Amino acid sequence: MKTNGLLHRSAVAVVVAGLAFSAAACSSSGGGSSSGDNGKASDAAAPLDPATKVTITADCQPPTTKPAERKQWDDDIAAFNKIYPNVTIKATDGSPCEEPAKFTAQLAGKTQPDLFYAYFTDTNQILDAGGAQDISAYVNEKTVPALKDIDPSVLSTLKDADGKLYGLPVTNYKMGLIYNRKLFKQAGLDPDKPPTTWAEIREDAKKIAALGNGVNGYGDYSATNQGGWHFTAELYGLGGKMLSDDGKKVAFNSAEGKQVLQNLYDMRWTDNTMGATQGLKWPDLMTQTSTDKLGMYVGAPDDITYMVQTLKGNYEDYGMGPMPGGKSALLGGDGRFFKKGSTPDQIKAGVAWVNFKYLTMGKGQFDYSRNKTDGLPVGIPQPSFFGGASLAADNTAKAASATVPVQNYAPYVSTPVPGKTEPANAQQLYKVLDAAVSAVLTDKNADIAKLLTDAESQANQVLSSLQ
Amino acid sequence: MAGTISPYKTNRRSAPAGSGSAGRGAGGRERSGLGQKVRRNLSAHGFLFGALVCFGFFTWYPMVREVVMSFQKTKRGRTTWVGFDNLRRIFDDPDFWHAWRNTFLFTLLALVLGFALPFFVAVLLNELRHAKAYLRILVYLPVMMPPVAAVLLFKYFYNPDYGLFNDILRTLHLPTSAWLNSPDTAMVSVVIAATWMNMGGATLIYLAALQGIPGELYEAADLDGAGLLRKLWHVTIPQTRLILSLLLLLQIVATMQVFVEPFLLTGGNGPQNSTMTVVYLVYEYAFDLGGNNYGVASALGLVMLVVLAGFSALYSRLSRNSDND
Amino acid sequence: MRTIVPQTQLNRPLGKAVYWTVLTVVVVVFTLVFIGPLYWLVTGGLKSTQEVIQSPPTLFPSEIHWGTYATAWRELKIGRLLFNTVYYAFGALAFQLVFDVAAAYSLSKLRPVLGNVILGMMLATLMIPSAVLIVPQYLTVLDLPLLHLNLISTPWAIWLPTVANAFNIFLLKRFFDSIPQDLLAAAAIDGASPLRTLRSIVLPMSKPILGVVSIFAVVNVWKDFLWPMLVQPNPADQTLNIGIRSLATGVPQNVIIAALAIASAPTILFFLVFQRSIMSGLTSGGLKG
Repeated sequence: MKTNGLLHRSAVAVVVAGLAFSAAACSSSGGGSSSGDNGKASDAAAPLDPATKVTITADCQPPTTKPAERKQWDDDIAAFNKIYPNVTIKATDGSPCEEPAKFTAQLAGKTQPDLFYAYFTDTNQILDAGGAQDISAYVNEKTVPALKDIDPSVLSTLKDADGKLYGLPVTNYKMGLIYNRKLFKQAGLDPDKPPTTWAEIREDAKKIAALGNGVNGYGDYSATNQGGWHFTAELYGLGGKMLSDDGKKVAFNSAEGKQVLQNLYDMRWTDNTMGATQGLKWPDLMTQTSTDKLGMYVGAPDDITYMVQTLKGNYEDYGMGPMPGGKSALLGGDGRFFKKGSTPDQIKAGVAWVNFKYLTMGKGQFDYSRNKTDGLPVGIPQPSFFGGASLAADNTAKAASATVPVQNYAPYVSTPVPGKTEPANAQQLYKVLDAAVSAVLTDKNADIAKLLTDAESQANQVLSSLQ
Repeated sequence: MAGTISPYKTNRRSAPAGSGSAGRGAGGRERSGLGQKVRRNLSAHGFLFGALVCFGFFTWYPMVREVVMSFQKTKRGRTTWVGFDNLRRIFDDPDFWHAWRNTFLFTLLALVLGFALPFFVAVLLNELRHAKAYLRILVYLPVMMPPVAAVLLFKYFYNPDYGLFNDILRTLHLPTSAWLNSPDTAMVSVVIAATWMNMGGATLIYLAALQGIPGELYEAADLDGAGLLRKLWHVTIPQTRLILSLLLLLQIVATMQVFVEPFLLTGGNGPQNSTMTVVYLVYEYAFDLGGNNYGVASALGLVMLVVLAGFSALYSRLSRNSDND
Repeated sequence: MRTIVPQTQLNRPLGKAVYWTVLTVVVVVFTLVFIGPLYWLVTGGLKSTQEVIQSPPTLFPSEIHWGTYATAWRELKIGRLLFNTVYYAFGALAFQLVFDVAAAYSLSKLRPVLGNVILGMMLATLMIPSAVLIVPQYLTVLDLPLLHLNLISTPWAIWLPTVANAFNIFLLKRFFDSIPQDLLAAAAIDGASPLRTLRSIVLPMSKPILGVVSIFAVVNVWKDFLWPMLVQPNPADQTLNIGIRSLATGVPQNVIIAALAIASAPTILFFLVFQRSIMSGLTSGGLKG
């Protein structure tokens, strides 16, 4: 769903709010219904009347290159229309669902669909452009029954600093360590016990690289801002922070930040386990893993789907472990926002559709038996924004229809690492850090302390220009 | 720009039949009264109408808007005037100088490959007595491909792991290259791909110019006992100078605006920003990295416009001077 | 025709040997450089996903997979993308031929008041990188000033802006300038209107330059990228460049390659069939010094 080169785009609003999270999360659902004394608000809180006649436009219908998903979309629209016969959803397909230039231009021209796709990190951009409608009053336990089980940190990425909600989550990922089980076995490592610390990764990478024949132990991105993205993920794993608490300065020039670059430097130059080819970007690491040339890298669960569906690898060969360091795991994903100026009925219809297609156990994307029939993978640990009863139900349903070797992801699933959202203005920070990561991987004489200090001052300058 | 055109206005075409009546035409114009003048002007402007409307809507008006936007900022849906803040922001951005350096480097490389190479290919083809039509077609083939096809194909060839180029180098026992993946070679790789895609057009134009050189000039040079290089230097190049200098200007202006090739090949900025050009920086401000910085993007666009215009003015001045020599 | 190397030199034995060596080398190198990639494109589409990313690569597909082409055609909807591209390209061509020829004719022969100022303003637009203007242009197309029309998702958004092509007007005007004024004056004395003069005298003499401008007009739309991506947000309306690039991220490498091969085939075949007239148009057209 996410993922292509340009993806993980910028600008989480939620920065500070994201850290102050749970308070805001509670207020939106609780506050919405209790303050519903006047007619308008109580009206907003009520679910969509099945007789309502309304038309909404939406994007991100699965493209023709994904026939199974596309068929499911059509079926779901038909099923939805059984409940709400007068709701018309006019959808356009797209792959990727969000193209930065098109997205920005649409926001500028206010031509985005009524219900539009965006990454969690786009919230700030959308709000700056005045592109989204506050839907706090429309989202409650009646309109979205699973609301209480949604991870508050995920919901907070869809809110502004005042806690107003602008979108609903659709899918998300939490990073971990993806590894090639085949190479683990060949190198004499236990494929069910992936390394969980960087020291272990270094040791295992040496054994894997010793297989020769162009096989690398560990790989990482260092281009198109993805080097900065992975730096952030690895920093989070070690417990580091990207931003100061007030969000005005960067905080990555720390012991953890140095550790991240030092690990990469040691594996690249001291251990020589990363190979000479650097400047990699999505999907290079997946290509290498699927051709059994790479042992381990940091990635998201749906990378495995990509390696099988697009690169024609085998599910048996890939495993996933928890984020190295284990302090927290970078969390990202996408949701659906509501265009500014939508009518109450349009918003209600949009909420009803998102709830039906993406947020209801056993329906839409969670209809696992149908996914199994249609040849789509069941059992990949993603999305992962549910907790409580929904999570339990999800796990049971997944186990019943699993089509992938679920036990391969047991190390990842059984070690719950708390998710942590991307920093505000993520993409601008990633761009600055990309250069540092790339320098460490291409320059044997790289001065890590200096690289980080330079990146820090440059990033602070970028942040101050955005204030 | 208008200045650069005047040198090429020369009318070389031999006048078709019917000349010699110039006096009549001029006389007719003098006799026309005011009413006729107005009428003729009206019809002349009528012919211009369609183009004027399109220029007005799609370039002139957006240009004005661009200037206005470069002094504005939009935050939370509200647009405000910010004076020279956007301009200051550009000059404070370390990427600004970096992008200019890359742009000039790219232009320089593109001149060597994209300007000089087609000329020498054209000279070479012009000397061959056989297979000329075949070779001409070959050179023009890539122009006929959709650019996305050519670019994605090159991206595939450049792949350091399974790309064709490294396999060829390995077969020849030569050191392989990281191509687009290394800050040292990314820019050259982009230029190579762009040259392959686009050199056909320039080659054909040069060929046409070469075929227009009167053969007697070479004969005279032969009688003087001139060697190949001297003939190239003293006959071929001077004789094609007009078209060479026009194409040089167009090539420089075009390469300074190059966008699609680096955008598709390296994602735009490339490893350690090694392929980040000024136009890409404009794109990035406007559309990427959280977008919405239209004001900053517009301001950078204006800076680029000033640089290109200054360059063109300088160029037209130089070429006029050399014409007068 | 005489060139740098005189024929006499080629008739000597040494000259002959050198000439044939050079010719052979040139033919072989050019074939490898320009046909080689196309060969790789066509055969790559016949390989399996694993074979296409294996190293070292295979010169011939070890097993022919015709199905890849069918998959590419079906899933990437290449027929639709191709039709869109052709539709935009020829629409743009028609508008440019009508409006730009009329404008160049007016500027060259009818010489209206302020004609030179207008020409200067048109040529000034050549200096502006298209990517720079794209934001205000997009906002304009969204809501045309005065008329308040929204052209997004209509072909007009691609056709009309292509008319604002100063380079074509410049080429046409330069060619028209070379047509003697006397001819037109004679026609005017005979009572021909400017339109009739254009149709019966100027256009028949201008075939070469019209050919050149036509090729440029079509190629420009064919190559454009950022603009069509913005003004045709609906995938069903997209051009080849945009459609293939956006779908390419989610399909196997061999399917992409097959798609690229299919997408390249029509224009390359068209070019090969009509190469004689295209080539003569390009080389004899008014581009000589």
